[in-house]
Parts: sequence; structure tokens; C-alpha cells
Amino acid sequence: MTTALILLPLGGALLVWLLPWSRFWAGSVAVLVALVEVGLWVQVVLGFDLSDPGLQLEQRQEWFSDLGVSYHVGFYAWSLWLAGAAVVVMAAATAYAFWAGRERPRAYFGLMLFLTGAIVGVFVAQDLLVFYAFFEAMLIPLYVLVGVWGGAGRVGATLKFVIYTMAGSLLMLAAIVVFGLQQGTFDLVESGTSGSTWLFLGFLAAFAVKAPLFPLHGWLPDAYRESSPEVAAVLSGIVSKAAVFGLLRIAIAKFPEPASDLRVLVLALAAAGLVYGSLVAFRAPDLRGIVAYSSLAQMSLITIGLFSGTALGLDGAILLSVSHALVSTTLFLLAGGIERRADTGELALLGGMARGRPALATVLLTAGMVALAVPGSSAFAGEFLILAGVFDVGWWWSAIGAGAIVLAAMYVLRLISAVLHDAPGPRTNEAVLDLRPAELGILLPLLGLLVVLSFWPDAISGHSFAFELLQ
Amino acid sequence: MLGPEIAWYLSVAAFLFGIGSLGVLVRRSPLIVLLSLEIMLNGANLALIGCSRLYGGGDGQIFALAVMAVAASEVVVGLGLIVAMARRGLALDVDRLTTLRG
Amino acid sequence: MITAAWIALAAPLAAAVAITLAGTSISRRGAGYLATGAVGASFVAAAVAFVAMWGRDAEERAVLSTGWTWLSAGDFSVGVTLLIDPLSAMEMLIVSGVGALIVGYSLGYMDGEREERRFFAYMALFVFSMLLLVMTGNFLLLLVGWGLVGLSSYLLIGFWHERPTAVAAAKKAFVMNAVGDATMALALFLLIWKTGTLDFGTAFARVDDLSPTVQTLIALGLLGGAVAKSAQLPLHTWLPDAMEGPTPVSALIHAATMVTAGVYLVVRAHAVFEAAPEVQALTAWLGAATLLLAGLVALVQTNVKRVIAYSTMSQIGYMFLAAGIGAYASSMFHLMTHAFFKALLFLAAGIVIHALAGEEDMRRMGGLRRLLPRTWWAFLIGALALSGLPPFAGFFSKDSILAATWASGGDGLALYAIALAGVFLTALYTFRMVFIVWGGEPSAFVREHVHVPGRDLVGISMAIAVGTLAVLAVVGGWVQWAILYTPVETWLHPVVEDLVRPTVAEDVITSVLASLLSLAGIWLAWAMYSAKRVRVPEAPALRSLLERKFWFDEAYDAVFYRPAAALARVWTRWVEEPLIGGSIAGVALGTRELGRGVAAAQTGFLRTYVLAIAAGAALLFLVYLAAR
Repeated sequence: MTTALILLPLGGALLVWLLPWSRFWAGSVAVLVALVEVGLWVQVVLGFDLSDPGLQLEQRQEWFSDLGVSYHVGFYAWSLWLAGAAVVVMAAATAYAFWAGRERPRAYFGLMLFLTGAIVGVFVAQDLLVFYAFFEAMLIPLYVLVGVWGGAGRVGATLKFVIYTMAGSLLMLAAIVVFGLQQGTFDLVESGTSGSTWLFLGFLAAFAVKAPLFPLHGWLPDAYRESSPEVAAVLSGIVSKAAVFGLLRIAIAKFPEPASDLRVLVLALAAAGLVYGSLVAFRAPDLRGIVAYSSLAQMSLITIGLFSGTALGLDGAILLSVSHALVSTTLFLLAGGIERRADTGELALLGGMARGRPALATVLLTAGMVALAVPGSSAFAGEFLILAGVFDVGWWWSAIGAGAIVLAAMYVLRLISAVLHDAPGPRTNEAVLDLRPAELGILLPLLGLLVVLSFWPDAISGHSFAFELLQ
Repeated sequence: MLGPEIAWYLSVAAFLFGIGSLGVLVRRSPLIVLLSLEIMLNGANLALIGCSRLYGGGDGQIFALAVMAVAASEVVVGLGLIVAMARRGLALDVDRLTTLRG
Repeated sequence: MITAAWIALAAPLAAAVAITLAGTSISRRGAGYLATGAVGASFVAAAVAFVAMWGRDAEERAVLSTGWTWLSAGDFSVGVTLLIDPLSAMEMLIVSGVGALIVGYSLGYMDGEREERRFFAYMALFVFSMLLLVMTGNFLLLLVGWGLVGLSSYLLIGFWHERPTAVAAAKKAFVMNAVGDATMALALFLLIWKTGTLDFGTAFARVDDLSPTVQTLIALGLLGGAVAKSAQLPLHTWLPDAMEGPTPVSALIHAATMVTAGVYLVVRAHAVFEAAPEVQALTAWLGAATLLLAGLVALVQTNVKRVIAYSTMSQIGYMFLAAGIGAYASSMFHLMTHAFFKALLFLAAGIVIHALAGEEDMRRMGGLRRLLPRTWWAFLIGALALSGLPPFAGFFSKDSILAATWASGGDGLALYAIALAGVFLTALYTFRMVFIVWGGEPSAFVREHVHVPGRDLVGISMAIAVGTLAVLAVVGGWVQWAILYTPVETWLHPVVEDLVRPTVAEDVITSVLASLLSLAGIWLAWAMYSAKRVRVPEAPALRSLLERKFWFDEAYDAVFYRPAAALARVWTRWVEEPLIGGSIAGVALGTRELGRGVAAAQTGFLRTYVLAIAAGAALLFLVYLAAR
């Protein structure tokens, strides 16, 4: 079952690449495969014991027996939620790409499906080499997706992205090799813990780049601005969550002592990123800039939760991860839709879109309210747990976090007002239509999931058992 | 053990190698450079076979065979390139082929 | 009883969702009827719950019901829990009752507005949020309701989203409330850390065992939330600006219900506040300071809604004062009567604004008494109730607060003096407004623009609400007269016990004193603004201080907003672009320069390469020999 979840999109990718589909059929097949993948994930959830904190649906196949490498996959409850967010976001992104129409559709949709498979692979990996393989396999399609289908500055953006991620990845590879040889196995379940600060830092570097954590976010603004909206959604919504998986499953679980020795350092970086991202988001001149820097802030908050070392913080981090994946995807797709219509994402040129465009206004407002974590939203629930959890470590972290929530209110309200309110901007004319049914068909399920999660965040927070992993 | 001392074999091998390297270094015609290269390889082969004989193992002989096979393929490629260059009317002078200058 | 409570909570939410999803397939008026019906259903359900509770013994009136677990992690768990007890039942009645009247009023007031459906969806959402706030049984859901009323308030203040002032006011309200939410959240974190729970019952029971510092901090955090929501000093500046919203919104949210949530919180969490006497005293003093400051600023306002807004701040100041000294029942009683007469004032002012095609400036009004006679009577009742004259509602509730302040001892006498000064100010600014708006001859502007509402839906829906509230503003106070009978106090007794109990003598003397002060205020207003016997003092310095509202906006702008914005600008300009963005460019540049240097070694001469290889091989050989 777990392997099927990886193989289905990979097979779909091959199918799209190899057969001579027309533009329409390539997209349709890709969307169909992505939806079946979601269905398969639901099937997995139904067969999952959500009260069991252990590894489930395990599959294991020897690979190199002398090195202790095996193809070992399986789900924890918390990684199941991350994978769920991943397949949903990928389905939405694929559907959006289909609707928006992309050049060279077979190559594009094949890459999207390949990406889906690789991301799911990251979230189920229980062996370091398998993890590394999927982690890199996830990055390759992204390089191409940003570099070929991006906007005007796509080459520079891709270059930055590649340099940053390569640097992190190589450090991680070195750390993996040393750790695996020391332990005599690369298996994450069998291997014990290590006290080596250097190895911990190697892993931390890779995940800090991917998350991203301040000050390793140099690739973020360009990559989020230059790529097509659905790729930006995937980058901020899902690829960043691969870092969450890695931090939790490897950096924290396998290196308990360095993680607790360096906790203050990581928390300080994350707190800095939280305030910094929020403030820069408040000054960003365009839609994607705001969403991009708010992603930095949110990922910092998730990192704070992961490093809080408490059940509240960890489960809250998982909840916020899922919520952020959904909301950031919604916002990027919306930003893409607005940019298509107005031909710009500059806030100064937009405005007054609420009048006569009720669907756009309602969807943007709802997504924005979740993004600023209005009490009662799933994001609020996650942030509340995280900050309540980190209170144990030091009240000041919670105070900084609570202050950042006020800043979040400021930049999200700025975004909403700049698009929807005041007098119509220079680019808001009659040709700027309300959301089309197809767009609503993509966005409403995402919003629906957010609403359901807002009514019942405990579905995730109470059934994640992220803390039990560390026991 | 029959025949001359191993030192003789190695001396001849070194001599061949030296002639070959000198040829590669000083000649300007690519054809001759290729030829000199072959002489170097033969020198190495001679050393391999000589040592193989000394220790009574077959490894060196097999290796020499492999080197010959590689050398043959290399000559094919090299000659092909030279023919292609000649056809395009490029000068057959390695000192004037400096496209790779950084 | 518990079923009725769930229905009361769910009905407005269902209406909000239905109107949103229905889009244009529901008519504008249909959306209005749906929202009114749902809030009305809420009121009926609340009444049913109230009656059912009435029939029980005082000790068995509190009922807990948990729908589902909302959030949990580790040992911590919070449910969607309703706590229906006398306090929440009273609040439910006020919220859904006044809410139903005002939503019904909006049917007429908002008639013909282009985005009526959106308005009613927001109103229904607000009523749901407010009910959640007062009905929930734990702090987390209270915070959720707290945030959601803030959200609805934001949406409704900015309802006319093409007006930049309205959008700015909405944002201001949201952000200031977010500050309150943040301090409240910090108090909750502390509670979780120290007691492990957020359920009211357990948490209150465990608060007593905490160290005094922790108790004080928790109480301070909660007070921060209460102060922001109730527009008390120092987080009050958003409320006057919030008057940019439609008048029914001002009536419902920014007068009758939401802004009094802070009072509810202090009363609900009285165990926490009683454990931290300094914070209690602070609550009382903040209330007193606000009532004085707001009363002074109200004297110079020219916008009719802003005068009423400042009077709201001032009246909530009384409630905070009462809650701070421990006169919880009086505080809640004043909350109730205030909901009646303040909603009445707003709605009556709304009729005036409606009749004058949206004009809110008092200086352009005048002489409306003859043009809108019934509205005039309603407004007058509201004004008299606000001024606290017998037999109107405000008299009964405000005077018990005053008497309790006197009786509380300590610095109670200072507070008492401030509160009495407030009574005088209240009467003065209220009747300044009454005489300017209604008295004299109709101004040119009025004669030109006035449009008297007829007997259609617009007129009738507005008349029903205003009429009902006018009656309530008279009889609503008769529920309790502390001198003779105290049913409100008895009713709330299972939940909160008052800490002070004034003697009958204190009550009587206070009533006489307060009524005289009120009359003095009214007389002065009459003399200044109607009969023009007394000249309005010039005092330009004082006037500009008041008109600038004590410079709070400017101070916050200079202390918080500007530094934050400057920091954001500096970081974007000097850190993000050169350092973070530049570091990667630096890496690229360095690599390129290095490559250029190394490239010099590539001469393109074959023999150079061969020589390098040969030399390298020889070198390695020598190294090998040497190492051996």
C-alpha cells in the first residue's frame, strides 16, 4: 500500500512521458492520476490505526545487505498527515496547471507526477539512503519546473535554488554516510541515536535550507516569484514540509543530545526568521512577496514547535504544517489567478476587486483569515499549541511568537485590502473577471479542508503522536 | 627463469615510453602525436608483460590485452578525428588547434 | 436545556454559511429575513434554556456539555464545551435578543444596499461568534469566540470597502484587538503550563494554589484582552474609528454586545482576578480613567455616532470599575441596561442618518424634533437612560455601581469622585447632542435633505426595533433596584458572589447625588446649547487636547507603527536585498572570478597539457619514492 502510493504517480509520469498524448489528454491523465493518488491516500487512512503511535504499513526489502541499506518505507501517524497534505496539494497544483495551460504539456505533467511520487517517497522513507534518494529526486523536477516554465528571471532563480539546495544536500549526504557507517545500518528504525554535533549540523543545514530558516532563505523570494504559481505553491506548501519530516525524523529523533544542546540556537534563528519574515512581508511590494515571506515566518514557527521538545509543540507543528500547506497553496493559486487577470502582482496597481467579484473576495478573505491565524482557524490551533508548548522552554519564545501573530495580522490585512478594497487600481478593469468555475473547483476543496480542520483540528493534533517518536 | 633479467625488459619499456612522450611533446602533426602515444602504450605493455612473466601470473598479460583493445579503439577515434579535420581543411598542426584555450 | 443552547449557537452560523454559499440564488431581502429569522430562533432557544434553568434549584443550574474534542496534544485537551449557567444564560438573552432586534432593523436600514447579502452573512457570523464567546466552558474556545467577534467586527467596520477611511478603521480595530488576543493567549499559555487545563472550573480551582506572581501575570494577560476588546485605556483608540461601519453594526457590535465582552471576561474569570488584587485594582482604575477621559473627549465631538461611541467607552468604564471592585452583579446589570439604551440611541441616530441621506455631522443637523417626532421620543428616552435619571434603566444600574464604589473602601472614595464626575459629564455631552441635533429650528441642510421614513418595510422594521428598545430602556432597569430587591444578584449568585455590598443609606445618598449631578449636567447643556445663556468656554489648548483625543493616536503611531515600519524598511533595504540576496550573488561572483583565474592555465596548446601531465606523474613518482 505504501509503495503503491509512491509507484502510482511515478508510473503515471512514465505513462505521460512515453505515450504521444495530446495537450488535453496529457493534462487529463495527470489530473486523474493525482486524484486517484488522493483516493489511495484516503484508502490508506481508512486502513490506518490512528490510535497507534508506532510505524505502520511497513514494507522492507534488503538492498545492500553489507552496508545495512534496505528499501524501508512506512507511515507514522504524523507523516501520514504530511503525505496527505502533499497529495492534496499536488492534485490541486496539477489541476491548476491543466486549467492554466502550460507549454510542452507532456513533459510538464510528467514532471508534476514524478514530483508527487518523490515527495510521497520522502514522507514514507525509513532508511537514510532511501530518504536521500527521494529527497534529491524531488529536487530535480523542481529545478526543471522553475527553470523552464518560470517567469522572466527564472534562470537566476533556478541557479540560486540549485546552489543553496546542493550545498545543503551535500552536507547531508556526508552526514548520512558517516552516520550510517558509524551505526552499521542506514535504517532509521534500527539505528540508534548519535551524540555527534557535526552530523547534526550537517542534517540541520540541509533542512534549514529547504524549510527555509533564517538566514538561509536567499533562494526563496526569487524562486517563489519567478516560478509558475502552482510550482510556487508546491515549493512553499509541500517541499518545505520535507524539511519538517527530516528535522523531526532525523535531526531531532536521531540526535537528541545535540538537538537539545543547540536548541537555543535553532530557536533563536527561528524566532529571528519569524519576526524578520513578518516584517519583510509587511513591506513586500507584490502578492507573491507577501506570501513568500509569510511562508518563511510560518516555517520558522513550525521549527519552533519541533524544537520545543514538548508534546504540544510537536503536535502543533504537524497541525500547522498541514494547515500551512493548504493555505499557502490556496494563496499562491489565488495570486496566480489575480496575476493572470491583472497582468501584475504589484499591490500598488491592484485594488477594489471586491466589488462585483464576490467569489474572489470570499475565497481570498477566507484563506487570508486562516493565514493570519484568526482564532478558531486550524492555523490558530497549530500556532496556539506550538507557542503553548515552547512556553516550557522559555516564556520569551511564546511572547515573540504572540507578537509575530500581531504582525501577521498586519501583513495579511494589507494583502487583502490592497487586492480587494479601496478604489479600483489602474489594472482593475472590467476584463478582470471573478473566479471561474474551474478555479473554484480547485480552490473550494482546499478551503473546505481548511474549514473542516478549523472545526476539528484535533483530527490531526490528537492523532499525530509526533512526541511519542522521541520517547 | 629463462631469458634476460627483468631489468632489461623494464629498461626497454622505459626507453619506449620516453621516446613516446618525447614524440608527443615535440611533434606538431597530430598523426605523429598519435603514433607516439601508441609507442608509450607499448612501452607500458612491455612492462606489464615482463612483470607478469616475472611473477608467473596471468594478470599482467590480460591487462596488456585490455590496453591493446583500448589503444585500438583510441586510434580509431583519433584517426577519425584527424580525417574529419583534414576534410574541413583545418591545419594539421596541434599548435594551431587552440580552441580550448580558457 | 442543553439542546436549546446548541440550537441557539448553531442557528446563526447556519444562516451565515447558507447565505454565503447561496450566493445570488437568494434575494437580498431573503438573506435579511434568513439572518433575522436565525438570530430570532437563537433568542427563542436562549429563552427556552433560560426558562428551563429558572425551574431548577440554584445549585443545579450550571450544565456542561461537550460536543467534541477541539484540540489536544499530549495530556492537554480542550473540547467544544458549552457551559450554560446563570451568567451565560443572561448574556445569551442579551446577545440574541438585542441581536435579533438590530438585525431586523438592518432589514430596513440596509435596504437597497448593493451587497446586502454579505452584510447579513457577516451579522449572523457575528452573533454566532458572540454566542460562542459567552457560552463556551473553557478559555481556548473563549479566545476563539474572542477572535471571531474581532473578525466579524473587522468585516463589518470595513463593510463599505471602497471608503479608504473605513478600510483603515477596520484594520486598526483588528490589529488592536490582535494585541489583546496576544496578551490573552500568553495568559492562557501560562495557565496551561501551571495548571495543565483551560476548563473554567478546573482552572479556577487550581489558580488559588499558584504563586502570586503567576496569578498576577495571568490576570494581567486576561485584562489585556479585555481592555482591547472593550476599548478601555490604553487600547481604546479603535472604537471611535469603528463608527465608519454601518449604524446597525455600531449598535450591535460597538455598543451592545461585543465591546462589553471584556466585562464578561472579568466577571467570568473573577476567581483569577480575585487572586490578583493589584490587577483588580488596576481594572477599576483603568475603568475610572476611561470613563473620565471618554466623557471629556465626547464633549467636543461633532459626529453624532462618535459622541455615542465615546459614551459607550465611558459606560464600559463604569462596568470595568464595578468589576474591578467586585460589584459583579451591578456590572452585569449595567451591561444589560446599557445594551438596551445604547442600542436604542444608535438605532435612533441611525434613523436620523438614514433620513438625512447618510449625514453624520451634528453641526449640519438641528430642529429634527418636529420632523421625526417618534424618533425624538425614542432618542430622548435613550438619552435620559444614559444620563441615569429615574425611572429610566440607567439609573438603577449605574447608581448601584456608584454606591458599591463608595462602599468598597480604600481608594474607593477617589474612584467614587471620578465616577460622580463622570455622571455629570455624561449628562452634559448627551444633552449637548440632544439639543444640537433635535432642538431649535431645522437647519438649511435638514430642510433640503430630510426624508421621513414611510410605512413600508424600511420604516416598519426600524420602528419595531426602536420601539421595543425604547420600552426596554425604560422598564429594563426595573428588574433590580438594589435598595429594595436584588433579583439579578440572586440569579448570578451561583456563579459570582459580590465582594462589596453597599448599605441602604449609601445607596439612597448616591442616588440623590447622582440624579442631581445629572440634572445639573442637563441644565448646563441646555444653557449652553439651547438657551445660549452660558457661553461655551473657548480654552483653545484644552479644546485641541480633547479634539486630538489626548494625542493617543499620534503617540501610538510614533511609538509602535513608525518604528516597526522603519525596521521593516531597513531590513528589506539593508539586510534582505544586499546580504541575503547578495550573499548568493557573491558566491556566484567568487566562483566566476576563480574560474577566470584557473582558466589562464588552459593555454590550448596540447604540449603544455602533456608536459603538465608528465611533470605531475613524475612529481607523484618522486613523492612516492620520498615517502617510501
